[in-house]
Amino acid sequence: MSTVALKRVVVVGNGIAGLTAADTLREEGFDGELTIVGDEIHPAYSRPALSKALLLDGDTLSSHTLPPASHGARELLGVRATGLDPDRRLVTLDDGTSLPYDGVVLATGSRARRLSGLPDEVTLRGLDDALALRRRLAGRPSVLVVGGGPLGMEIASGCLAAGCPVTLVSQGEPLTAQLGPHLAGVFTTAARERGLTVVRTGPARVAGRAGDVHVALDDGTVLRAEVLLTAVGDIPNTEWLAGTGLVVNGAVPVDTRGLARPGVAAVGDLAAFPTPRGRRRVPLWSSAIDQGKSAARALVHGDDAPPMSFQPYFWTEQFGRTLKAVGPLPAAGEPVYVDGEPGSGPALMAWQQEDGSTTAVALDYRIPVPRLRRMTRTPA
Amino acid sequence: MKIVLDRPRCEGHGLCEEAAPQLMHLDDDGELVLDLEEIDGGDVALAKAAARVCPVAALRVQ
Repeated sequence: MSTVALKRVVVVGNGIAGLTAADTLREEGFDGELTIVGDEIHPAYSRPALSKALLLDGDTLSSHTLPPASHGARELLGVRATGLDPDRRLVTLDDGTSLPYDGVVLATGSRARRLSGLPDEVTLRGLDDALALRRRLAGRPSVLVVGGGPLGMEIASGCLAAGCPVTLVSQGEPLTAQLGPHLAGVFTTAARERGLTVVRTGPARVAGRAGDVHVALDDGTVLRAEVLLTAVGDIPNTEWLAGTGLVVNGAVPVDTRGLARPGVAAVGDLAAFPTPRGRRRVPLWSSAIDQGKSAARALVHGDDAPPMSFQPYFWTEQFGRTLKAVGPLPAAGEPVYVDGEPGSGPALMAWQQEDGSTTAVALDYRIPVPRLRRMTRTPA
Repeated sequence: MKIVLDRPRCEGHGLCEEAAPQLMHLDDDGELVLDLEEIDGGDVALAKAAARVCPVAALRVQ
């Protein structure tokens, strides 16, 4: 599609992926009519901060705040897209109106997967979720977290730091599936030292009724707490795209530039893009940014736009320890120590992965991410 | 315009450096150094791009 034909662009979704796409459209010279639709009334915010700093913030409540948008788009906030008609090039909205477009960016993200329909099952995905949880933590309730991934562990850490007794239910040892056994061991050790109770189980269920909810483990054990929170993955928000042919296995597959079709880009947590390990969703902050930039350039410049070159950057903060990683995770086996040594101190480590790639990890170690990236280009 | 860094908030992710290496870098200790604080022209867009990618909102352009 040439620049001439691109007069109206609609970005559906006001998270970091949609916001970055909108910013980049302007940077790449798109000066037409730009509209952003966001189902939350809040301006875009930093989602990674919700389960980290925001739970611990003093009274400032600003660690999630992003700089004000400068793309000059018409922002329709608190409005949800209900459908897309790719032939007529229309986005329909839940207020009954519709928006015509020449180019559209699908960026409606994902939502928390739930284990029940019970309102007492709490999840943390959006800003309102985080603010509500924070308010409840002030009373130091007992907390039961289901889910041993990075999000569940970050939330457990935040709840412990707030003074709550916390039990975490995990399938297998927490974080092992996501980070690999070595790094998982670092964090679970710190977690237990700080008083986290870890319950390992097979599949767990959330059951009960409103006002009396519990977690049933696969061995029949029943666990209860004043706050029951699940962090068991995310589901892309693609229902509104039903009938478009754009959704495969619940996600929107895109090409190396983030396009699902000419004029239709998909970015962020709902998009599955080609990676060295196959086409997949990579629901991470830096992934959303790279996708947003790439897709905006593809809308403006078409095939002249460069394909996305993406390398995952992941970080977590929990139980007093911080990790920054560039390259694929989990990391199997033991690392090579570039700086520091085995034990509990700061360390800079590298893993040579089976597929020939290198994963560079900084543990409690301040290092510029560009330097971590360079480490992945030289064999460990 | 001016780039303002909230240093206690900075966690040294360095995504800003990747967005605007002409304007800022992390030193060997992982501390962010603003190479240019007073900015104009094309640097303003770069600085805003750098502020935007910061996941802890440690940068402002004002």
